[in-house]
Amino acid sequence: MGKAVDYSEIVILDGAMGTMLQAEGLRAGELPELWNLTQPGRVSAVHRRYVEAGSRVIYTNTFGANRYKIAGCGHDAAELCAAGVRCARAAAKEDTLVALDIGPIGRLLEPLGDLSFDDAYETFREMITAGAEAGADLVVIETMSDLAEVRAAVLAAKENCSLPVWVTMTFEASGRSFVGVTVPTMALTLSGLGVDALGFNCGLGPREQLALLRELREWTDLPLIVKPNAGLPDPATGAYAVTPGDFASVMRDAPALGACLLGGCCGTTPDFIRALSEVTRELRPAKRTAPPRRGVCSATAVAELGGVRVIGERINPTGKPRFQQALRERDLDYIAARAIEQQEAGADILDVNVGLPGLDERAMMRDTVRAIQEVCDLPLQLDSSDPAALEAGLRIYNGKAIVNSVNGKAAVLESILPLCKKYGAAVIGLCMDETGIPQSWEARTAVARRIRDAALSYGIPAEDVFIDCLTLTVSAQQEQAAETLRAVRCVTEELGLHTVLGVSNISFGLPSRETITASFLTQALYAGLDLPIINPNQRAIMDAVAAFRVLSGEDRDSEAYIRRFASPEAQKRAEEDKAPREMTIAGSVMRGLRQETAELTRRALESMSELEVVDHLLIPALDRVGERYERGEIFLPQLINAANAACEGFEIVKKSIARRGGQKLSKGKILLATVQGDLHDIGKNIVRVVLENYGYTVIDLGRDVPPEKIVETAVREEIRLVGLSALMTTTVPSMAETIAALRRSGHDCRVMVGGAVLTADYAAQIGADYYARDAKQSADIAKQVLG
Amino acid sequence: MEARLTRIDRAELLRYLSYRGGELSEAESEQIARCTERMMQTARPRAVWRLFDLLPDGTLSGCAYRPGGEDIRVLLADCKSVILMAATLGAEADALSRRARSRDMAEAMLLDAAGSAAIENVCDNLCADLAAVLAPAHLTERFSPGYGDMPLTDQIPFFRALDVSRRIGVSLSESCLMLPQKSVTALVGVSDRPQPRRGGGCASCPRRESCAFRKDGKSCGLF
Repeated sequence: MGKAVDYSEIVILDGAMGTMLQAEGLRAGELPELWNLTQPGRVSAVHRRYVEAGSRVIYTNTFGANRYKIAGCGHDAAELCAAGVRCARAAAKEDTLVALDIGPIGRLLEPLGDLSFDDAYETFREMITAGAEAGADLVVIETMSDLAEVRAAVLAAKENCSLPVWVTMTFEASGRSFVGVTVPTMALTLSGLGVDALGFNCGLGPREQLALLRELREWTDLPLIVKPNAGLPDPATGAYAVTPGDFASVMRDAPALGACLLGGCCGTTPDFIRALSEVTRELRPAKRTAPPRRGVCSATAVAELGGVRVIGERINPTGKPRFQQALRERDLDYIAARAIEQQEAGADILDVNVGLPGLDERAMMRDTVRAIQEVCDLPLQLDSSDPAALEAGLRIYNGKAIVNSVNGKAAVLESILPLCKKYGAAVIGLCMDETGIPQSWEARTAVARRIRDAALSYGIPAEDVFIDCLTLTVSAQQEQAAETLRAVRCVTEELGLHTVLGVSNISFGLPSRETITASFLTQALYAGLDLPIINPNQRAIMDAVAAFRVLSGEDRDSEAYIRRFASPEAQKRAEEDKAPREMTIAGSVMRGLRQETAELTRRALESMSELEVVDHLLIPALDRVGERYERGEIFLPQLINAANAACEGFEIVKKSIARRGGQKLSKGKILLATVQGDLHDIGKNIVRVVLENYGYTVIDLGRDVPPEKIVETAVREEIRLVGLSALMTTTVPSMAETIAALRRSGHDCRVMVGGAVLTADYAAQIGADYYARDAKQSADIAKQVLG
Repeated sequence: MEARLTRIDRAELLRYLSYRGGELSEAESEQIARCTERMMQTARPRAVWRLFDLLPDGTLSGCAYRPGGEDIRVLLADCKSVILMAATLGAEADALSRRARSRDMAEAMLLDAAGSAAIENVCDNLCADLAAVLAPAHLTERFSPGYGDMPLTDQIPFFRALDVSRRIGVSLSESCLMLPQKSVTALVGVSDRPQPRRGGGCASCPRRESCAFRKDGKSCGLF
């Protein structure tokens, strides 16, 4: 680019466009971008006033020119973007840069919303391609709240043009965006993706943004952008509180904090920009000397490198029949529950391995990452040897991930390191290569060095390379434990890299495994291991971590340690470990007691078959609860508590069956879905819990499900009962359409429907076979149809 | 004027769950209290509103959004101006219930009901604050896109007019549902005279056949 930005100087950006157009007569709710075509002269005039006031970079009037926001206006996104660039170019001086302005789509991305990553990407690609062709000098993605959306926009820019990419997000004074993104997660994720500059715009006034800038500069060494509002608008008058003089006198401090790209957002005018330009004329951005803080993150939580960060190993099918069954049945809720369980047990990062022969690992990785990120905010470590599966996960992963893993083999490095670079992920390098696992610590360190150098050659910083010195089983190769520990120390101290280690492998084949594992873990931590991969549900192992954190000084004043061992909850937990009181399964289910139900089921299985336990104990217990519910003696949450307790019992039964490889216990398959257009799925989820606890296998397609997918699944899985839910009046037609599609397919099945707006009459009208008033009734219907 | 969440009404929470007065054990009462408390602490209420003059032709001065339907015309018959308001509990409140879902559906339901009661409280507080500021003028009841004969698709121009997404972080789905789910948009009329509740009851409502309130033997109180 001929007109490159020199980030070692102060560069003045522009101020608000919307505010200026409103002063020119734009009404509230009118599309500002239409003016690029209908009133280009007035748009250019605004740009010109900013250029005259001192703006070196002007943002095009294309903030909302995306296909969703402009739907129905009679023009397409490409047209409005190209016209926007022309309006700005007409006002630009020789050294003025025209930035293609990309704002939020206005729709929320999956898994929180209904817009897919691919649709978001395509929406941005359309704008960026048109803007770049029309001659924009850079792309600026601004006013973003959702990191997932930013990622889609950045990837669309980097994959479709060669222009520099700037990103600014909008935060509240709390340091979080509307959807919970934090300053560190923004910095880690976007630095990884390779944007050219980042910072803040909108939402806050200058004083509040500078406070956030202090945090941001600790987490990145990229050029920083500040573009605050003129305070907040008075709702009644629409006027902003801060004057140009006040604005400029606060912004004067921005260069000392390292910011070089300065401008204004809502409420600012050419007067603000002129004042800003004047007070910063003699200033230069301060150089940052301290290296940025490092870590990995989700969109809302960071695991900062430095202390011990526990990587949970439980999302992995190896040696776990129940987990394998969940994968085969695509039971994503089961997997998500394993994520939450590990988080509550103290994991800081979760390893995600979903490879199972015969399954499409690529789709499974993508769907699992999405399902976990919907309910759990821990950073993830994507564990696969298949580059396609890794890329499928990395593309939608919201945050900065870890890739597990590469090793010293040239072919592996060449196929996986470019992915880590592109998506900004950290990477684990295993100390092995074409010749196998080296037996000496020196040789393993040599492989580690080679992996680091390869990563550096791809532009991956050394701080993002984590080395696994490999744990071998001590009962088989006793002398190797010492070699591993020595290698950990050497990689930590001499190469200065972080290390990971799958610790549990050490004790394989020995009695009292936890004793050996905990002891080895402590020694490895002392040798420098900071990213142990362990089972956080094993209390003895996590106790060892807690103790180490005290002895290493990481746990200041032993606060976390004391909380762990001396809190009332901890004591209650210790009590719960004792045997349950005398109680029947019916009683424990009725009272919603989970652990008791699990324990009683375990005992019952000593003298009864799995089927007997289900038919004679668990189902009758649930039936009794259901009757009380129908009589109004208990209400829905109580029914669900009971169902949850029964569920613990069913889990024990399922494990028992999986362990001996027996036939799955199921009373039949039921397909559930919340129909297309509807996002309210709590009712459907309740029905699912109840049906599962009655022993049915539920295939849950989730919410906002198109009719074709329901028909296709019903046919493929030979479903005899389909349950559909809809909450909104507006989505009932979509339910009718789904039923019609099922009938057209000729597939023989019954359809039951439920949801707040439905009635028995209405259900009959749209062609349903059954109307389920509530969850209990859906179980009665299932009994009638499937037995 | 800040969005304020001051309390979550326990009776209202239970009403959302069709509670019929059965016995609640101590543990269950504790569970309800715990969910209420977590929602109180997690919700980050935000609101945005603007006052527009209502012109004789039914349009709002300086606003590209024109409220649709006969019901709103009747509600605003006596009004000189209209407040457009939007409020939300924020993404964190939705996440609470979502996270509970895969582990404990009962808790997810209680959190969901607590959120519904909470957003009502935020709207009530905002309207009370607005009424105080606008006194001696009087406010009508709140009326939302999707009520009566006002199409839900009114959400789209409504969102644009208040710049809802940018100001308080609420998005619309393709089918015009709001995300975070615990959000409300509403129109409130401003009049010189006190506004009586509107007569006619459910019989005059075009949605009477499919109304969720009616099915539980209740009414939305608007008609």
